[in-house]
Amino acid sequence: MKNSKIYEDLSLIIKRSFRIFLLVEILLVALAIYFWKIQIVDHNKYWHQSEANRIREVVLPAPRGLIKDRDGHILADNIASFKASLLRENCKNFNLFSLRVSRLLNIEENILKERIEKYKSWPQFKPIVFEDNLNLKEVSLIEGRQLEFPELVLQTEPKRYYPQDTFAAHTIGYLQELSEEEMKSSLHKERRLGDLVGKKGIEKIYDNLLRGEDGYYVEAVDSVGRHVGMIEKRDPVQGYTLKLTIDCDLQRMAEELLEGKEGAAVVLDAQNGEVLALASYPTFDPNKFINRFSPQEWLDLVNNPEFPLENRAIRGLYAPGSLFKLVIALAALDLNLITQNTSFFCSGSTRIYNQPFSCWSEQGHGWTNLFNGIRNSCNIYFYNVGKRLGIEEIARYAVRLGYGSRTGIDLTGEKEGLVPSPEWKKKVKDAPWFPGETISVSIGQGPLLVTPLQVAVHTALIANRGVMVTPHVLMSYQNPDTKEDKEVRFPPKNFNPGIESSAYEKVIKGMWRAVNDEGTARLARIQDYDVCAKTGSTQVVSSIKGGEKPKPENKLKTHSWFTGFAPQDYPKVVVTVIVEFGGMGGASAAPLARKLFELYREKYD
Amino acid sequence: MIDRRLLSNIDWVLIALLLWNSALGVVFIYSSSHYLPGNYYLRQIIWIVLSLIALFLFIMIDYKNFLTYSLHLYIVFIFPLAGMLLFGKLVVGTKSWIRFPFFQIQPSELIKIIMILLLAQIFSEYKARYFSWNKLLLSGGAVSLPILLVVLQPDLGTTLTYVPIILAALILAGFSRKSFIFILIFTLVLSFGVWNFFLKEYQKQRIMTLINPLQDPLGAGYHILQSKIAIGSGGFLGKGYKKGTQSQLRFLPARHTDFIFSVIGEEFGYAGVIVVFLSYFLLLSRLFRSIDKSRDRAGVYIIFMVAMMIAFQFFVNVMMVIGLFPVIGIPLPFLSYGGSSLLTNYLAVSLVLNVKMRRFVNV
Repeated sequence: MKNSKIYEDLSLIIKRSFRIFLLVEILLVALAIYFWKIQIVDHNKYWHQSEANRIREVVLPAPRGLIKDRDGHILADNIASFKASLLRENCKNFNLFSLRVSRLLNIEENILKERIEKYKSWPQFKPIVFEDNLNLKEVSLIEGRQLEFPELVLQTEPKRYYPQDTFAAHTIGYLQELSEEEMKSSLHKERRLGDLVGKKGIEKIYDNLLRGEDGYYVEAVDSVGRHVGMIEKRDPVQGYTLKLTIDCDLQRMAEELLEGKEGAAVVLDAQNGEVLALASYPTFDPNKFINRFSPQEWLDLVNNPEFPLENRAIRGLYAPGSLFKLVIALAALDLNLITQNTSFFCSGSTRIYNQPFSCWSEQGHGWTNLFNGIRNSCNIYFYNVGKRLGIEEIARYAVRLGYGSRTGIDLTGEKEGLVPSPEWKKKVKDAPWFPGETISVSIGQGPLLVTPLQVAVHTALIANRGVMVTPHVLMSYQNPDTKEDKEVRFPPKNFNPGIESSAYEKVIKGMWRAVNDEGTARLARIQDYDVCAKTGSTQVVSSIKGGEKPKPENKLKTHSWFTGFAPQDYPKVVVTVIVEFGGMGGASAAPLARKLFELYREKYD
Repeated sequence: MIDRRLLSNIDWVLIALLLWNSALGVVFIYSSSHYLPGNYYLRQIIWIVLSLIALFLFIMIDYKNFLTYSLHLYIVFIFPLAGMLLFGKLVVGTKSWIRFPFFQIQPSELIKIIMILLLAQIFSEYKARYFSWNKLLLSGGAVSLPILLVVLQPDLGTTLTYVPIILAALILAGFSRKSFIFILIFTLVLSFGVWNFFLKEYQKQRIMTLINPLQDPLGAGYHILQSKIAIGSGGFLGKGYKKGTQSQLRFLPARHTDFIFSVIGEEFGYAGVIVVFLSYFLLLSRLFRSIDKSRDRAGVYIIFMVAMMIAFQFFVNVMMVIGLFPVIGIPLPFLSYGGSSLLTNYLAVSLVLNVKMRRFVNV
């Protein structure tokens, strides 16, 4: 058993290995002593060095994605801008700082102090932006005094710029600095002080696509802010380029037509819901939001009685007036309460439920059937049809035909309007429904409220003989680096009004006559182009923000409505216009709509 | 498969020390990476569990079988190493990673286990007082092929961790004075060659700044200096868990991997350093003292090489963060974040357990 492994003599190599272990132990002790020296003996020295160590995080803001119209014209761009910030960890006396900087850059001292106060809860090494859009002179002033003002930091960054100023401003929306509460919410976790984020419109709803990814670098600096080492760096990534469905020619035309008035215009692709133009007037310049308002400018803007910031096309609530007669007609036809030949006699006025009701035409329209009822927008005819329907059915059909709920457009703040019903009245006003109110509702008055966009979508539904579209403004978005396009789909809202198509045909026939047979919308007539439309005028002033009074000179005027589509058989485009205090719809809204139809035909046919 | 007598011979103390060191690691990985995306501490826990499972699977097989097939294993493992040079993608400047959907692995780490087995096999019947030239050439050749492949990746840090393994084998086999001088000269010539032909400019700079870190405090010396400041400013009890200004404010590079010891030094001070030193002392002494529990020569070689491998990495890492060794990517075994290194070290220790538990078994 001499060669058996159990008895093998391993003493030599075991001895050698234990000797090495002794070395290991000695080395361990030596290191423990060295660490003692570094951590205990020299502790003070290193402690001070660690205290003097500072980092400065410099964010490299990502350029926001571009916004383009459907033909590729740039609606929102970026340009370079300079910002001055205060780095508090380098500042010893804020009062002195405010005083000196206010002199240097000619800024009010109070504004500086306010901003310092506002952001005082933030880490010392995060710069507080107090002035942007510095001009070159100011930039060189700061640059030249870098040693004198170690707390003053200059940053260059891309700034949003809207090259066409007020063009499509309501659709594009605007950017605003985050409020402090918003900063704290988890939604804006990566956002920084002084960051501008989308607050309205496309800028807000697609903020995630547009914002890109900020880059940053973290550098080590010494106690006077000199760079001593780069710690981390990441390049910024630009946001996606958004391509909108907006057609700049139609949009411009719509804005020009509304200029000087208050109102809105919508041009919709009848087939797929693409918004070709969405104008609201008065308007505003979104560039103003980038360049910081003075407090007075801001107050003037928000207190303007004409509400330039409001997007009337999706937020303006108006009584639909005679436009609502289309709903009444469709409902009654679908329920077989009338046929196209059912006629009522209009003498200019009538009594229903013991109350007097009148037609807009004092001399009356005589015997009126469905086609002439729509063509002449005869109130008496629709009083009678509405009476047959009753409020419950009217409300049911109005909702089915697109009123009373949001259209689902990809813009912020859309209003849903109101379709009244007895239950609604009981709940909100704690009062019973009076039959007379049904008569008012039959011609689109009473508590009914709709937005111009709802009217446009409703019109598209009629034009398509019952097929709903979802209006949308975004067509596609593109990665700015790879140029890879992503289409966006907006599936139609999942409901079908379930009205038989012959009803639509009859109503459309009436709408055709309104335009082409000396009807109320005759001013929208275009030779050889079958425009079908309905006009309306509303007697009640419905406010955007409840409570405000119309200007005295407008008190007796009505809002003027027009909605229509063309061509009759293969509907391609829907145009809806409202002019506040414009008088009769046929007189002021219809001619505007005709211009838009003409331009569309010229460009797309 | 494994009989009860064997099971009762498992060195549970060694396993406990292993887990204790790994747990310390998780605590500090959390402290140094909780503000980063990626949940490193969770991933490390998963790696620990997987490594532990691998450890138990490996000790079921008698190490004699591994030795018998060590050459086969060696050949099988050389191919992926060579293949990576040809097909690997550069990640952070090296081709040392094989990527899988949820993790990546470094074959250059795992091959150390094979190397240990092959060297133990080569010397298993060697009884002379000093090593002979043909053994030197044989063992040198066996190790230099993977070294060459890994140097080309290029991964200098990992290459360096092969050195203690071959050195350990040669120490046991015995240096004569003549061979010692020869190896010294050979090493000098080799380092001259490496310095001039293999080292990248930044690596040379790192070695230079070791001599004088203040010479270039913004460049290569910067990390050493910051690491030293971190440790020195820790004082006796440290700045507190997750309160290290150096580590939390990102002055330290590779905080959760190579520089984890600086985080310990800063946040737990000298006390923390000593706790880690003691843990390591217990682990290393347990390993070294396992040597006379081996029933055969190959077992002694295995245990010694494993102990040397771990001790070497520990010392290099600790000396690196305090500025006594060039910054070279060597992690602190069991404490640094990193799956491949952890798995390799667990498997290495499993070999020691393997040798130890079979000391009474007569085969």
